[in-house]
Amino acid sequence: MVALALGSVALAGSGGLLPPTPHSPNAHRITDAYIFVAVFTGIIFVGVEGALIAFVVRYRRGKRARTAEGPQIHGATRLEILWTILPAVVLAAIGTFVFYELPGIANAPKASAADSTSITVEGRQFYWMFHYPNGAVSIGTMIAPANEVVNETVVSADNDVNHSWWIPNLGGKMDAIPGRENHTWFEAPVGTYIARCSELCGIQHAAMIAHVHVVPRAQYEAFIANRKANETGIVLGKEEFDYVCSSCHRLNKTYVGPALAANPLLHDEKGITSILRNGVGAMPAVASDWSDAQIQALIAYTKTIPVPKQSANGG
Amino acid sequence: MAANTEVVQPFRADWRLGRFTTWLTTTDHKRIGILYIWTCLIFFAAGGTLAILIRSQLMKPHEHFMTRGSYNEAVTIHGTTMIFLVIVPILAGFGNFLVPLMIGARDMAFPRLNALSYWFFVLGGIVLYASFFAKGGAAAAGWTSYAPLSTVHLAGRGEDLWILSLHILTLSSFAGAINFIVTIHNMRARGMTWTRMPLFIWAIVTYAWMLVAVLPTLSAGLTMMLLDRNAGTNFFNPAHGGAPLLYQHVFWFFGHPEVYIMILPAMGIISEVIPVFARKPIFGYRAVAWSTVGIAFFSMLVWAHHMFAVGLPTGLDSFFMITSMIIAIPTGVKIFNWLATLWRGNISFDTPMLWAIGFIAVFTVGGLSGIFLAAFPIDWQLTDTYYVVAHIHYVLFGGSIFAIFSGLYYWWPKIFGRMLDERLGKAHFWLVFLGFNVTFFPQHLLGLLGMPRRVYTYDQGGLWEVYNMISTIGSYVMAFGMLIFVVNVIKTSRSGRRAGNDPWSADTLEWYATSPPPAWNFERIPYITSARPLRDWRRRLVEQGRL
Repeated sequence: MVALALGSVALAGSGGLLPPTPHSPNAHRITDAYIFVAVFTGIIFVGVEGALIAFVVRYRRGKRARTAEGPQIHGATRLEILWTILPAVVLAAIGTFVFYELPGIANAPKASAADSTSITVEGRQFYWMFHYPNGAVSIGTMIAPANEVVNETVVSADNDVNHSWWIPNLGGKMDAIPGRENHTWFEAPVGTYIARCSELCGIQHAAMIAHVHVVPRAQYEAFIANRKANETGIVLGKEEFDYVCSSCHRLNKTYVGPALAANPLLHDEKGITSILRNGVGAMPAVASDWSDAQIQALIAYTKTIPVPKQSANGG
Repeated sequence: MAANTEVVQPFRADWRLGRFTTWLTTTDHKRIGILYIWTCLIFFAAGGTLAILIRSQLMKPHEHFMTRGSYNEAVTIHGTTMIFLVIVPILAGFGNFLVPLMIGARDMAFPRLNALSYWFFVLGGIVLYASFFAKGGAAAAGWTSYAPLSTVHLAGRGEDLWILSLHILTLSSFAGAINFIVTIHNMRARGMTWTRMPLFIWAIVTYAWMLVAVLPTLSAGLTMMLLDRNAGTNFFNPAHGGAPLLYQHVFWFFGHPEVYIMILPAMGIISEVIPVFARKPIFGYRAVAWSTVGIAFFSMLVWAHHMFAVGLPTGLDSFFMITSMIIAIPTGVKIFNWLATLWRGNISFDTPMLWAIGFIAVFTVGGLSGIFLAAFPIDWQLTDTYYVVAHIHYVLFGGSIFAIFSGLYYWWPKIFGRMLDERLGKAHFWLVFLGFNVTFFPQHLLGLLGMPRRVYTYDQGGLWEVYNMISTIGSYVMAFGMLIFVVNVIKTSRSGRRAGNDPWSADTLEWYATSPPPAWNFERIPYITSARPLRDWRRRLVEQGRL
């Protein structure tokens, strides 16, 4: 247990004393601001709790009579002014530091068009979908170029709910709200980062996790070109199945929704299209804004799922 | 003195109605106060049970203690219960029992309206809990119930019953607030000027004015939600031109003042308890009173600090950061004045005082974590994570609930005529104090590690598991502490030491009445000469050689 705890301290960076290890300039500045505030609040914490403990010990009743009065001091205007002004000064310092750091957090650094990428992040019940500049799409996994500014436009479909896009290592959250377009950014080295939904969005909110693969520019270009060239490809179809369908369904057992393997709809193109576009019962219209190619990709993938024999084994 | 020859009005002899009917039909502010307090304690047990279920589910990752759907219902009803059925109404309960006694009145201004407030409150609570049995289960969109999740995507009747319940509770609180305002403004004893009122009364009158100011907004928001769900309107539905963000503005315009509605009377309790057990007057009476009003004013200008991640313009974010930080100043003033009251005192550690000192210790943590959340770029990391869960529990549990227990132990002898057991009381305090910190401190760390709130499961391995396990163990310790309170209440109900009028040698007028007070409260209401009328009275008796 101890070894586990220590091991994970190393993994988690600060062990939860600071925000997650930053890998993007905005996340760095947020951590800096956090530390700045922590210094002041730390001093206030020690001062207040220290005074509380000191007074409670020093002025305890001890052997005095229960009703013996302390000196009847009703106040002191100078002290009142002091402890009004002093916190105001501290808060002004914190505010000033926040405004000093703010531009580097809220605004992406100015970059020439060649050094920046724009990716639209769309939150849906219960998956993340990424739209790339050339029209390519990926689901559940975002591919982004390394060491350059990635501008994200965060949206949610009109018939969906609020989500919140958060890559803890790469900066703060940005809500995906139907009918609104929000913007955030990061600039990260090569690596894989986890992203979570942080606004309650329904029954599978906890499962709404995505991965962000930050890769060299060439690899990113190749990925989106390949995706564009295979719009109806089985690779996208598998991604759709793994991140969209699987957030509520399993092949051979009931999960949030019913098991799919034995479901005739799985191999019924019209039925599957209709249910994806319009939803049914408790199932939301998960693919209401997909392109026809995206639907085709999923159908292509479902065709590879074998129709089960009498008894299904395993899940 | 002409002032003291007021004739006691004939009071209806309640006892002739029989024990049960008496309580059902009572309009006596003390009985209504007691009904409020008991009902709230029952809801506290219900909301606490839901909390234990939540912590049991989160003890380990991939736990199957509850289903996902029931988890969201538990989270929603836990939050709604603690806020709308426990903290706000139990403070109204204290207010009901204490306001007339503390200001030297014989009842509230509108006794029957008072009874209506209570019975509406009960009805609202029943509707909320009955919604577990509704088609589709109880509401599951969180206590904030954000649209469009709550308006378009939750089909069951639970959400509609949640709206109905809150509508009823809103009416209850509104009527109660009017009653407090009219009573406090008009019915104070002779000599009780505004600066001679107990600080708890300052807190209650501020609480009532805030409720009057913000409850209509909540009602409007609930009504729009109800219409969106059932009448085909589209206030919050972007597919037809509505704005989900409107709901958040409306909700938090009510919701943030609500936080102060829950904390100001709690602070009022602390301002009553600390001077009595430190044997000193409150340090800076005017500063404490004005900081109450200041907090109330600024609390209505900070609502969008709950919405820093929705993509507001930087100018608005900045405005709401600055106003949120300004609130820290009057809050600090209160804490410093309580500390200065302890300074050079003669401090006794009876159970009410332990809770009050515990309040200062943990509320300070909640206040300081609030500064991180007010700085909006930092909030972009922290919002909607367990850091926020930790923060609100440090403020509302470590703050409001600790103060409520301080008040219960302090006024119990006045309300019921018997003292609670001190040894059990201290065990109760220490177990809850310990369990509270063990439960909620690690949640700050979980939030910083990246654990979102309102999730039924989380990543396997590492510190997430360790901190969640610690947190769950802490919650069981707290639950055990609460059971000791139940034992204490049962044990002392028949055998507890009888309290005289004034077991703590306290300073305010309620201790002038007998314990429990008669239906008409006082035989004679003395002329009020300061904010500490009972101390003045004791000194006069000493001077006359009668004490």
